[in-house]
Amino acid sequence: MVLRNYFYRLKCIVRDRHSMFWTLMFPLLLATMFHMAFLNLSNGLNFSQIKIAIVDIDEYRNNTGFVSAIEAVSNTDENQKSDALFNLKYTTLEEARKLLDDDKIEGYIICDSEIKLTVKETGINETIIKSFLDYYLQTSSTIGTIAGVNPEAVNKGLIETLSDKADYLKEIAYGKSEPDSTVVFFYSLIAMTCFYGSFWGLKEVTALQADLSYEGARLSVAPVHKMKMFISSFLAAFTVELIEVFLLISYLKFILNVSFGGELLYILLACITGTFTGVTYGTFIASVVKGGEGIKIGILIGTSMTMSFLAGLMYEKMTYS
Amino acid sequence: MQVFKAFFKIIVKNLGQILIYIVVFLSVTVALTKLNNTADYTGFTETKVNIAFINNDEDSWLVEGLRNQLLKHTNIISVDDDTRKLQDALFFREVEYIVRIPHGFAEKFLNKEDVTIEKTTIPNSSREIYIDMLINKYLNTAKAYISYSDGLSGETILSQIEKDLAQETKVSMAFPTDNITLIEQRAFFFNYLAYALFAVLILGVSSVMMVFGKPDLKRRNLCSPLRQREMNFQLIIGNVSFAVITWLLLSITGFFLFGSYMLSLNGLLFMLNSLLFTFAALSISFLIGNVVKTQNAMHAVTNVVALGTSFISGVFVPQDLLSESVLRIGSFTPTYWYVVNNNTIANLVNFSTEKLVSIFGNMLIMSGFTAAIISITLVITKQRRTSN
Repeated sequence: MVLRNYFYRLKCIVRDRHSMFWTLMFPLLLATMFHMAFLNLSNGLNFSQIKIAIVDIDEYRNNTGFVSAIEAVSNTDENQKSDALFNLKYTTLEEARKLLDDDKIEGYIICDSEIKLTVKETGINETIIKSFLDYYLQTSSTIGTIAGVNPEAVNKGLIETLSDKADYLKEIAYGKSEPDSTVVFFYSLIAMTCFYGSFWGLKEVTALQADLSYEGARLSVAPVHKMKMFISSFLAAFTVELIEVFLLISYLKFILNVSFGGELLYILLACITGTFTGVTYGTFIASVVKGGEGIKIGILIGTSMTMSFLAGLMYEKMTYS
Repeated sequence: MQVFKAFFKIIVKNLGQILIYIVVFLSVTVALTKLNNTADYTGFTETKVNIAFINNDEDSWLVEGLRNQLLKHTNIISVDDDTRKLQDALFFREVEYIVRIPHGFAEKFLNKEDVTIEKTTIPNSSREIYIDMLINKYLNTAKAYISYSDGLSGETILSQIEKDLAQETKVSMAFPTDNITLIEQRAFFFNYLAYALFAVLILGVSSVMMVFGKPDLKRRNLCSPLRQREMNFQLIIGNVSFAVITWLLLSITGFFLFGSYMLSLNGLLFMLNSLLFTFAALSISFLIGNVVKTQNAMHAVTNVVALGTSFISGVFVPQDLLSESVLRIGSFTPTYWYVVNNNTIANLVNFSTEKLVSIFGNMLIMSGFTAAIISITLVITKQRRTSN
C-alpha cells in the first residue's frame, strides 16, 4: 500500500504542471538570469586602460620630463604596450572637451604653467589619473629637496632611482579560488528552491485531509493507517523536490559553471536537509493554517521569500556581519 | 460605456496582486533614496577604497608613515588579523585590498635589502592598481631619501616625504555636475520603474483580456446589441487609461523624491521616456493577455517577462557591468532602450543636438516596438477569429 500510494503520488505531482513550473522551471530561469547578469560583474571591476587626452601645446612639448613620464606608461598611436596605464591621445582643447562630453575619454590634461586635469565625473579611473599626475609633481619635489641637500645625488642616479618605480608588492591569495561574491546569490537561490518544496508538502496534505479536499475525504474512509499514507505521500513530495534541487545544482555547476569551491558534497548534504525542511514546512502550514488554498500559498510564498531575503537572495551582504 | 466600466471592475477585483508590485516598488525606491543620502558634494573628490592594514612588523616611522599616507587616500577598515575574517571581509567587499607588512620589513628596507609587502586583493582590478600605486609611491620616495641623504634622522625623512606627497594636481570638472548620489538615485528610480510598471501592466491587462477572451462570455458579448467596433474601442480606451494611470501613479512618486528636478528638462525627458516605455509595455501585455488562458500561466508569464527583460536590460545590474552578448539579447526588448535613455538623461548636462538625437532615436525605437507588437497581436487575434 505504501509503495502503491508512493507511485500514484509521484504521478500526481509530476503532472501538476503549474507547481512544476514554480519549483523547477522558475529556479532554472532565475539561475539563468543571475548568470547572465553577473557574467561580466567580476570583469567589470577589471582594470582596462584609462583613456585620456593631452592638449598638445608648446608648453607641454617643452616639459620633456613630463612628456617622457606620461609616455612611459601610456599607449599612443605609435607606441603600443600591453601593461600601459593610459591610452593617450593628443588633441586640441576643443577636441578634448568634445571627447570628454561624449564619454570617449575619462579626462584631459592641460600642461602649461602647471599641470591641470579636467574630468567629468568622480570615480576610480579619475582618481588613478590624478594620483599619477600627483606622483609626477611629488617626484619633482623630492628631486628638488634632495638635490638641494646633496647636489651630487643627481649624478649618482637619483633620478633613475625615482623613475625606476620598483614594485614592492607581492600577491598572497587566501583561498583556493578567487573571491566571487555572486556565488551567494546562487546559494540563496538553491535555498529558495529547497523551500519551494513546501508547495509539494501543501499539495500532499491537502490531498490527505478530509476537510481540505474530496480526495482526502475518500482516502480517510479507506482502511489504511493514516501514518502510512502520510509517509508515502511525504516521500513522493520529497523525492520530486530533491530531484529538482539536484537538477538545479547540476545546471548551475555544469552548464553555468558556477564555482562552488570544493564544498560540493556539503552543499548536497545541505540540500537534502533543506528539501526535508521545505517539504515539512509545507505540510505544517497546510495543517495549521485555516483557510483556503490561496491564503496558504500566499503565506508560503511570503514567508519563504522573507527567509530568502534574510539569506541574501536580494542583497549579498545580508549574511555578513 | 459598459465595457469600459467592466474593464475597471475586473481590475479592482485583481487589485490585491497588482498592489503588491506597486507597494514593493515604492518602499524599495523610497527607502533607497531616503537612506542613501550621503554628503552633498559636487566637485571632484578622490575615490576612497576600503582597505585593511595589518602590521606584523614592529612599530617604526617607515610603517607609520605608510599608514598615514594610506589614511589620507583610503578608508582603513579594522578587521581582525584572522585568515577567515579577512577572507570574509574580502569576499563581501567590506575591504577590497589587504596590506600586510611582514615582520622585519622596516629594518630590511632601511638596510636597502630587497623586501616586499604582502597584498591580498581582487586580482586585476582598478582598485588594486590604484593602491599599488599609492604604496609604491611612498616607498620609492622613502628609498630615494634613504639612499641619497645620509645621516638624516627618520623623523626628518618622514616629514620630507610627507611634504613631497602633499603635492597635488588641480582637478576641475568639465561641466557643472550634480551630486553623484542624486544622479544615481534618479537613474535607479526610473530604471526600476520598468520592472514594476511591466509587472503591473501584464497582470492588469491580461487578467481583463482573459475574462473577455473566455469563449462563452465572448459569444454572449458578440450577440449583444453593442457593435463590435464600439466594444473594441472601449477596451482600447480601458487599456490605455489603465496604463496611463499606472504610469502617473508610479512616476509621480518621482516628484515626491526629487522635487523640482522633475520639472527641469531632464525630469521632463525622464517622464516622456517612461511614458513611451509604458506604451511599449502595454502592447506586450496586450499580446500576453490575448495568448494566455489561465491565471496560473499569467503569473508565470508575468514573472518571466518582467523579471527576464529587466535582468538582461540592465534594470537591476547596471548596463556597464553586463557582458556584450547579454546586452545584445537585451536590445531586442524595449526595456533595453528605455534604460539606455535613462542613464543618458541622468547624466545629461550639456544638451547638445547629438545627445538629444540619440535620446529621441531610442524613443523612436521603443515606439517601433509598440507598433510592431500591436500589429502582431492584431494578426493573431484576427487569425483566431477567422479560424473559430
